[in-house]
Amino acid sequence: MLTNSVETESRPRRPARVRGKLHIGGSNSRGRLAETVIEVRGLTKHYPDVKAVDGIDFEVKGGEIFSLLGPNGAGKTTTVEILEGLRDPTSGDARVLGVDVTHGYAKIRERVGVLPQDFQPFDRLRPREAVRYWATLMNRSLSKAEAGSILETVGLTSRADTYAMNLSGGEKRRLGIAMALVGEPDLVFLDEPTTGLDPSARRDLWGLVRELKGKGKTVVLTTHYLDEAEQLADHVAIMNKGKIVVRGAPDNLISRHGGGTTIVLAGAGASGHEALIARGIPAAVDGGNVLVHVATASDVRLMLAKVVAIDVPTTGIYTRRDTLEDVFLRVVGARMAEGELVG
Amino acid sequence: MKRVLADVRAFGAQYLRSRIGAFFALVFPIILILLFGAIFSGSGSTTVTIHVQDLDDSAISHQFIDVLRNTTVLNVESIPADSVIGEYIRANSISTALVIPSDFSENITRYRLGDPSARVNVTLFGDPTQSSYGIALAAVGGAATRYSFGIVGAAPVVGMVPETIVSSSLKYIDFFLPGVVGLTILTTPLFGMTSVCAEYRTRKYFKFLATTTLTKGEWLVSKIIFYSLLMLASLALMFVVSIVVWGASVVLTPTAILFIVAGTFEFTSLGMILGLYVKDTETAAAVANAIGFPMMFLAGSFFPLESMPPFLQSVARVLPLTYVNEGLRATMVFGNESTALTYLLITAVAGLAFFLIPARALSWKSK
Repeated sequence: MLTNSVETESRPRRPARVRGKLHIGGSNSRGRLAETVIEVRGLTKHYPDVKAVDGIDFEVKGGEIFSLLGPNGAGKTTTVEILEGLRDPTSGDARVLGVDVTHGYAKIRERVGVLPQDFQPFDRLRPREAVRYWATLMNRSLSKAEAGSILETVGLTSRADTYAMNLSGGEKRRLGIAMALVGEPDLVFLDEPTTGLDPSARRDLWGLVRELKGKGKTVVLTTHYLDEAEQLADHVAIMNKGKIVVRGAPDNLISRHGGGTTIVLAGAGASGHEALIARGIPAAVDGGNVLVHVATASDVRLMLAKVVAIDVPTTGIYTRRDTLEDVFLRVVGARMAEGELVG
Repeated sequence: MKRVLADVRAFGAQYLRSRIGAFFALVFPIILILLFGAIFSGSGSTTVTIHVQDLDDSAISHQFIDVLRNTTVLNVESIPADSVIGEYIRANSISTALVIPSDFSENITRYRLGDPSARVNVTLFGDPTQSSYGIALAAVGGAATRYSFGIVGAAPVVGMVPETIVSSSLKYIDFFLPGVVGLTILTTPLFGMTSVCAEYRTRKYFKFLATTTLTKGEWLVSKIIFYSLLMLASLALMFVVSIVVWGASVVLTPTAILFIVAGTFEFTSLGMILGLYVKDTETAAAVANAIGFPMMFLAGSFFPLESMPPFLQSVARVLPLTYVNEGLRATMVFGNESTALTYLLITAVAGLAFFLIPARALSWKSK
């Protein structure tokens, strides 16, 4: 069920998971960041036919990974484009690195790196040329060796002199991240960085994002992959229909909105669901599966025994801990698959 | 300035690595030069074949045919007297034919014997859309007049001595080169920028560029610098080929170089204006063609403005390419610097006006 009230959770700081050395400048080369890097109050963006962003509030602290989650059309990209200074809001306040995004962006442009949604590189530029070009546009002068170092960071060393049009989807996205980082930004926006990538490429990019956090960068990540946000983000805000329906630290959200264990009866279908309900066991149907939620760990064994005793036709029974997907299902009332709401 | 130069380098590298872009900017004008040079290099000996059906077949009609042969521009071929002229023309795809009527010698003899009312007409069949028809019309008319003077025993009172208006060392390619230069200045930046703007919009490059410190004005200026350099390189190639292959002797004046820069500025800006309103690269090509092609033919790149009907000449006077073509000819062929500078000023002012439109209207921000 969709809720319009915004719940906020306390903010535990996850330990940074640093994998290897990041060769992009120093850690926070411009000194200590202000505690609040992004501050959004009552932000709206209305079009004649739709309220793309409908009065949202949130804050992002320096050095954290903040994820905006939601299905396609939820308002994520509109929100980040306002924060990137690429789109004017209809009303409300948005401050990034201490400046009003509507009027003062020129002052902070060099401190903000952006990987746009659906990033496409310049086809006939080589990655080495592209990062040097982009560095100059960010008022930095980059030697060939420095450009090579940045490409090494994103794992493109062997492809540094290949035309961008010949790179794979994952390599293109890595090049986009390299270009976003080339100005040594304090704040990095990554808009759907892993959409369309294979699982291996996704995990590689996750490693990169963690390295950014390890260097003290603040990262705003928009995604419709709930597992991605759960893996990476210190804080998430789930958007739906232009509103933030819930926000907080992933662990706290999971704990608050269930936080237990789910017994999954694979392929049990509607008949299995009816059989459980008839025996007084609360259950839900998810596709062809039947789910039984158990709030406390000590009750799992007992519930599992009950379910097995009913002898529901199933292709398998297993348990799993609740995830952000379950939170999403409970607060939005539907699941999300490749950015689209399902069910 | 560093940002502008970096953008020129990056844009230039991409442009030149696209073989299509490099072909149309650097190779295509050379093909035009070679093609037109080949067409016009032997233009002094051009003759028009005229097919003559002599229905009279008399000594007098043969005399008239000899006068036609003596014009040097007519190559006379015979049509059998028993052919139906219309069918013969169609069957043999003839563009120009002349029929001498069967009463030709009879009427001339009557005149010679004192009948002042005696008249005879020869009939010229032809396709007015063919340039050969005009030559044949003038040549037959001139031959008829000369033959008439012979009959009445008179001589022309007014004669004509042909003189070239420029140095006798100039060849047809020298007259043609400014038109090809103007054409290249029109097509490469206009078609290129319209397409670039569409591509930058559809691939969201504008939005990506907006995340850097590069300003919209710097981006526009970098395109003008790039296309100016490209056009200067293209001009140099055209000159070298014209001189080496066709022995051209037009002068590359400082004003001509300023024309290259001003013309490129003008058409790059015009391309940006068109690019503001097109949504994709396919539409961009159609829009650029719709604007560029009529201008190409109406602005005197290939044909002199004077050869066009008056209303088209009026249209040509509002086309920016006209002033580039005419200005280049004025400075490169005629050495008329005052006219060239006037047209240069018109080109520069129009370019500035065109530039201000995208500079104000182009937005990198989303709505």
